[in-house]
Amino acid sequence: MSIYEGSVKKPVMTTLVFVAVVIIGLFSLNNVPIDLLPDIETNTIMVLTTYEGASAADVETNVTRPLENSLNTVANLKKLRSSSRENRSLITLEFDFGEDIDVLTDDVRQKLDMVKSFMPDGATDPIIFKFSTDMIPVMLISATADQSLPALYKILEENVANPLARIPGVGTVSINGAPEREIQVFVDPARLEAYNLTIEAIGNVIRMENMNLPAGTMDIGNESYALRVQGEFVSPMEMKRLVVGSYAGRNVYLSDVAEVRDDLEERTQEVFTNSVQGATIVVQKQSGSNTVQIANAVVKMMPELQKNLPSDVKLETIMDTSDNIKQTISGLADTVLYAFIFVAIVVLAFLGRWRATFIIIITIPISLIAAFIYLGITGGSLNIISLSSLSVAIGMVVDDAIVVIENITRHIERGSRPKSAAVHATNEVAISVIASTLTLLAVFFPLTMVGGQAGVMFEQLGWMVTIIMIVSTVSALTLTPMLASQMLKLDAKHGTLYLKVFTPIERALDKLDSAYGKAVDWAVRHRKATVWGVLGFFVLSLIPAGFIGTEFIPAQDNSVIAGTAELPVGTRSEVTRETAQQLYKLWKEKYPELDMINYNIGQASSSNVWGSMQNNGSNIISFNLRLIDLQSRDRSMFAIADSIRLDLQRMPEIRKSNVLAGGGMGMMGGQSTLDVEIFGYDFTETDRIAAEMKEKMSKVPGLVNVTISRGDYLPEYRVQFDREKLAMNGLNMSTAATFLRNRINGMTASLYREDGEEYTIRVAYAPEFRQSVEALENILIYNNQGQSVRLSEVGRVIEEFSPPSIDRQNRQRIVRVQSTVSGTTIDKAVVEINKAIDEIEIPTNIYTQIGGTYIDQQDSFADLGLLLLLITLLVFIVMASQFESLTYPFIIMFSVPFAVSGVILAFAVTGVTLNMMSFVGIIMLVGIVVKNGIVLVDYINLNRGRGMSIVQSVVKGGQARLRPVLMTTLTTILGMAPLALSNSEGSELWKSMAITVIGGLTVSTIFTLVVVPTVYAIVAGRKTKNFRKKWRRKMLNA
Amino acid sequence: MKSIFIAFDQAYYDQILSVLRGNNVRGYTSWQEVQGKGSRTGEPHLGTHAWPTLNSAMITVVEDDRVENILNDLKALDLTSEMMGLRAFVWNVEDMI
Repeated sequence: MSIYEGSVKKPVMTTLVFVAVVIIGLFSLNNVPIDLLPDIETNTIMVLTTYEGASAADVETNVTRPLENSLNTVANLKKLRSSSRENRSLITLEFDFGEDIDVLTDDVRQKLDMVKSFMPDGATDPIIFKFSTDMIPVMLISATADQSLPALYKILEENVANPLARIPGVGTVSINGAPEREIQVFVDPARLEAYNLTIEAIGNVIRMENMNLPAGTMDIGNESYALRVQGEFVSPMEMKRLVVGSYAGRNVYLSDVAEVRDDLEERTQEVFTNSVQGATIVVQKQSGSNTVQIANAVVKMMPELQKNLPSDVKLETIMDTSDNIKQTISGLADTVLYAFIFVAIVVLAFLGRWRATFIIIITIPISLIAAFIYLGITGGSLNIISLSSLSVAIGMVVDDAIVVIENITRHIERGSRPKSAAVHATNEVAISVIASTLTLLAVFFPLTMVGGQAGVMFEQLGWMVTIIMIVSTVSALTLTPMLASQMLKLDAKHGTLYLKVFTPIERALDKLDSAYGKAVDWAVRHRKATVWGVLGFFVLSLIPAGFIGTEFIPAQDNSVIAGTAELPVGTRSEVTRETAQQLYKLWKEKYPELDMINYNIGQASSSNVWGSMQNNGSNIISFNLRLIDLQSRDRSMFAIADSIRLDLQRMPEIRKSNVLAGGGMGMMGGQSTLDVEIFGYDFTETDRIAAEMKEKMSKVPGLVNVTISRGDYLPEYRVQFDREKLAMNGLNMSTAATFLRNRINGMTASLYREDGEEYTIRVAYAPEFRQSVEALENILIYNNQGQSVRLSEVGRVIEEFSPPSIDRQNRQRIVRVQSTVSGTTIDKAVVEINKAIDEIEIPTNIYTQIGGTYIDQQDSFADLGLLLLLITLLVFIVMASQFESLTYPFIIMFSVPFAVSGVILAFAVTGVTLNMMSFVGIIMLVGIVVKNGIVLVDYINLNRGRGMSIVQSVVKGGQARLRPVLMTTLTTILGMAPLALSNSEGSELWKSMAITVIGGLTVSTIFTLVVVPTVYAIVAGRKTKNFRKKWRRKMLNA
Repeated sequence: MKSIFIAFDQAYYDQILSVLRGNNVRGYTSWQEVQGKGSRTGEPHLGTHAWPTLNSAMITVVEDDRVENILNDLKALDLTSEMMGLRAFVWNVEDMI
């Protein structure tokens, strides 16, 4: 008993099996999280090492290079980048996509362990980060305060950060811009000298005094008592009475030589939100947890947290990444609904029967819901890719059911009873239904196997559509005949409403049929003219191809603009703050679309990981701007960003600025970047080339934000010790350097504990004694014998400039001239840049290459191009096996070039670029357009088998199959139309794919309907002629 | 005793069985899938790409007096949908065990 016979005979079982599938699907849907994009496994590991007080060059030689040399041996490494700047070294290891990041992390950790012992003393142990989209903060919450400002850090930490961190799934919650408490011991060097004391000695005393020690247990009588010495400071002011030495027989107290202050850290970042100072709370999620769930939990918790805060502290959300996700997903869900409605209308209009339409339409929810089971099992999420696959599939899932229902109806009209008609009619078309599904699987299944970034993106699309298509085919072969056997009737009676609505449609379709029949008849009888005509059209349609730009991923308007503005280096933070205030006033007036303006200035403290990874310094303003919703403003994020760029350029005090529409959040949706990478060791040479390059690139239209990655040179004082003199005084370089460091940077003597919190006790020169070169020169350095010598006697202080950061890539120094592509396309910009590179004189030991999104784009396009080739081949194989012939698939393949024409025309009309999404659209087209050809050729073959002449079979076959072809094409096109027309947030991403498919499919269908019958007639006619010729020759020879 | 050979479109199968049962005939032999073509009218039933439908065939041996009724019933069935095709032929049965 075949599967269709079984299902027709067992309607209860068939129904319930599908009901079960739907229930499991809905259950999975309930548990599937919402996200913007598929869970992209990270391919980047970062290693952060801090080396306080060291300059960029020191960090490069002492920390970065040894680490790089060791890390370079990790397997599967694609790119090794590093940035050494003052105090810290950041090494980024980029791996090939698809490798197991946990294994790689272990590898990296091992390599780090091997070099750890070669690290300089002051350097911390390297910290490993796995960088992924997870690292991007889920939410930024601003806390503004008045009177509570000095205690803000503590307040926020206890009342906001800690409760938030307890939400399941929340990773780290860090606080930016709230200074931390620090116990400072500021020493007067003159007094130290008078009492013969050193910073180190004071530090040691503090460390020795601030101590709790268990002394054991003692038994007294029958009891055991613990014995403890409780020596830790109860109050910081207790330190004042510490005896740090003795002079002339009297005790020297700490208060005699130093001032003890319970204060805030000296150098900190200041954060302003809508011009009120406060702090930013950065919420990051744990790897793998869901953004929307976390953001919802945080938002829900906020009123409660607000209640526990002092009245002047206000919490407000600056950025909530889940907003964008939610809107994007709901916009996409709408398109799925519209697609469903459109498809239903098309089916009803063509079939004109309610019951048949219902039977066909029911396959849509069943197969779509079944796909949620896949998401549930694999832990996938509802995201742009998975939801747009639903939209893509919606128009195609009905095709199988349509073919089956059509044949069953034909049988019933011939007089067969519905039950047997359902079985036998399904049996007749089963093979071709499976074959046409196979051609689509030949397209979508390989998508699951692509490598690289494209593979990561489209794996879900491949699986979802594959599963949906398989389920829809199974449903078409079981559920559809079963429902047909139960519901379809011979000679259903039609009401007047029915007649009013469907008679005109029916009449129009009949007219179309006969008109098309005439057209095909003419084409087949004027084969040469037809072939030349369509060939001419094809060639003409290729002309606009030259004007189509390419892009990596279409930029997406997510209502966030971020950027930095740099004042001349060395600018004090007060001046920077003032400039920032000016900017705030300007923007507030000029752009009513701005919802929130948040900026921070100053140096991030080393404990703030998120802050320290961003560019920071006392001269740098970094800002985050949030715009109001896309629907309620006229200007796009990109237009506003362009205008802000101009504002920044007009301010003379701003040396350098960078504005990124989209906030530069990760790889998706932001604007594409194009970099020129200049490799070379020599700073002066590479600087010269970079400067020239920058000038030339600024002139290229459409390239904005042209900046040089190497920051401005920082003025620095360098202390050059004379080794001979040091040796004569019984000193060495490291002792001398440590003395210097302890006095200026300060030494951490101990930790002060209060209420379970620890605060650093830092001993250093008082600020007024470290503000001149003389102060440095007067520093006393002691040797082991306790003899002292002034720094000026063993070394000298010279003023120099050094680059603030030294960037390296693949263990070579690199300068990048970076630019953002806005208003042009990458390929055009690349041509201009290559021209510029040729014009610049470049020495042989320096070389340049183009990087940025361009490289990613080329990689992905290469992957996708290969895929296109593979898929075309696979589709051909499927068709050839179905027809058991090489000729027919060849004829059908003629529809593919016209799909290309259609795509080019659609691009030219709508201004869509060739990007990763439209490329996938083109790949899908190969499978979709050949389906029309298959239907036609199949029926023409059938007519010939029934004994018609070639011309007759072609004309009659075309006429008979016009409606199914138009119907399946229209369902696919209209299923995609909501995607193409939607204007919601994130629509930029899927729009191009939908436009590609619609354009390609429309043009290709029109031409397939003419070209395939004509070429069939030509090929079949020639075959018959050849056969007759051979036959005659054989007969003559015989 | 006479034998009736019935060749018909597969889809008729259930109705044919009803005809036999209605005429109180218990025994029959049937072939699920056979190919065939009418001599004058009707579409061929060949199970090929061009002519995908198939026939079934059935032979039943009945008392002489029932033949006429059965043939009449089959004729009536055939007239409900002539497009599908249904034919019956009657032979004499010489001997049996």
